[in-house]
Amino acid sequence: MPRAPNAVDFWRGFALVSIFINHIPGIFFDKFTHRAVSISDSAELFVFLAGWSLRYVIGDAGRPRPMHEVVFRVGGRAVTLYAAHMMIVMLAIAILAATARLLDNPLLLEWHNAAAVFYRPVETHVGLALLTHQLGYFDILPLYVALMLFAPFLAILDRIAPALLLPASFVLYITSLVVPLTIPAWPIEGQWFFNPLTWQFVFVLGLVMGRTSGVGGWVRRHIVPIRWVSLPIVLIGMIFVLTGGKWIDPTSVPDPKLLFINGKTFATPIRVIQFLALVAVMSIVYPYIARAVPSAVGYLSMLGRNSLEVFCAGSILSLICQILRFALPDGILLDTLLLIGGVALMGMVAWLAEWRTRVVAVA
Amino acid sequence: MAGRVAHPGCGGSLKRLAYVLALAAMFAGSAAAQQAAPSAGSAPATEPKQEGQLPPVTRECQIGAMDVVTQSPLPNVLKAVRERQKLKILAIGASPVVRRDSSAGDYYDLVEQLLEQTFKGLEVEVVHRGVSGELARDAGARIKMEVALVEPDLVLWQLGTADALARLPIDDFEDSVRTTLVWLKEHNVDVALIGLHYLKSLAKDTHYQAIRRALKKVATEQGVMRVGRYEAMETLARLRGEQGGQAGRSRMTEAAYECSAEYLARAIATGLFHKEKPPAPPAKPIN
Repeated sequence: MPRAPNAVDFWRGFALVSIFINHIPGIFFDKFTHRAVSISDSAELFVFLAGWSLRYVIGDAGRPRPMHEVVFRVGGRAVTLYAAHMMIVMLAIAILAATARLLDNPLLLEWHNAAAVFYRPVETHVGLALLTHQLGYFDILPLYVALMLFAPFLAILDRIAPALLLPASFVLYITSLVVPLTIPAWPIEGQWFFNPLTWQFVFVLGLVMGRTSGVGGWVRRHIVPIRWVSLPIVLIGMIFVLTGGKWIDPTSVPDPKLLFINGKTFATPIRVIQFLALVAVMSIVYPYIARAVPSAVGYLSMLGRNSLEVFCAGSILSLICQILRFALPDGILLDTLLLIGGVALMGMVAWLAEWRTRVVAVA
Repeated sequence: MAGRVAHPGCGGSLKRLAYVLALAAMFAGSAAAQQAAPSAGSAPATEPKQEGQLPPVTRECQIGAMDVVTQSPLPNVLKAVRERQKLKILAIGASPVVRRDSSAGDYYDLVEQLLEQTFKGLEVEVVHRGVSGELARDAGARIKMEVALVEPDLVLWQLGTADALARLPIDDFEDSVRTTLVWLKEHNVDVALIGLHYLKSLAKDTHYQAIRRALKKVATEQGVMRVGRYEAMETLARLRGEQGGQAGRSRMTEAAYECSAEYLARAIATGLFHKEKPPAPPAKPIN
């Protein structure tokens, strides 16, 4: 039996639907996702919850799993994520190629960084395998793969010196912002859209906050005052976004500039602080939502329980929706159909994943 | 040939790294002093030395009297060349483009090569920050961050195609582009816009054409350089006979990229030759 709906699965399902919508640029419903009123967006939520879930693999301080088991499980997860990423990238390339032929529109071959795949395939296929070449909107899983490759070291550090886990992550984060350090892209020059060296901090925050001991325990004990401190941060962030984010001129802030500006690539402090404040404030609402709309909570929790399958399906579906929005007369009606159809198909994928698990369990 | 960078804000990186490590180890708090001070401005002002005339337009890119570039003075580029003999270009926008011949570099390398050949001693550095499929509104936010980190003299911004494919509202597109151009002007950064792609079948696509017109309008209104890739490609296609099959269109796309890079480099060079006009003599009173 799948586990009952809970806050983590619900918010993960929420993030998956948000990512699906945000990955269809121009769709009417984009303005109703939380990034319209928040400095951080669903990417932070997704990575934070990925870190949160890592504690289930690592185990709690009271009941630690054997170290070799943790390393193998986390490493195996990285391989699974890598395979999933490769599959959806190949599907995306095939979809773009087929659509370019079908619509007789070679521009689609150049969409979302795919041009190099078709025009310079030799180097680019190496880049795809090495994750140094990423298609547009297919760049979160490479980050997740990098984080899971990094996770065995986190697990070891967590076991031998748990108090050092967050400070070590913070030092790497700050160093990467100040230098700044990035992971280069190849063969097309540039850099990873999501910098793993900085995003690892969001991941580790999820890991330590997910615990009932240490930092996570402290946060739980003081959640009420933390919420009161967080509320104005969330409100200020909302006003910041609604007014176009013009308060901070990136050229006017002191060096190192990344410490003071809003940059998604680097998960800059302004985003992380606002995100943590948002988590603190929103952590109160789940029980109310669960009581008010239990069916929606159940549905989103089902998506969240099967996040990898749903994420992969959502990535491909969002690309198909982009193509349909280009090929068909646009309007709210089409956008509504795409949203309903996309979320329904994501639900079907989650249901199938759970059905398969049940069948295997019975067998 | 200028070195390429793989990380933003490359100036003083090692110093900053040492600084951070020391900070982490010792919690020493003396901040700002370690930041590398920019050296610009110390060199005496010199005119850019022109190696010779601009090389003639390559035969493949000759399109007669068709004007595909909206020329505009580039005061900040000129200043950088005069004071530093170095030009830093930020390449940003929706379509990091590639050439089939990997040894030839990308299309921005063509710009770099042509400028370095034309101006003796000029060092051109192109920092690539393109994100494929990125919309103008998202690029606008990222441009501000990258300008702060890279401190470019010129931004090459490819835009429009992704917005047109995503069916973005025309007004939103226009506002996003205008806001970013105004911001760049206020921050003394020149900009060259590289417009939409051409495809015969898109000639009747009203939204695509509306985005194209909007870009042209904002570029004219803000007085910034614009390379009309669409116009160039359309003219090339007409001169060479229409595009034919898939292979023909693919070759045409590649030719359009090559020629757009050439037109762009020539436009920047022309911008550097541009002399500010002396103030007009006061008009004689008419009795």
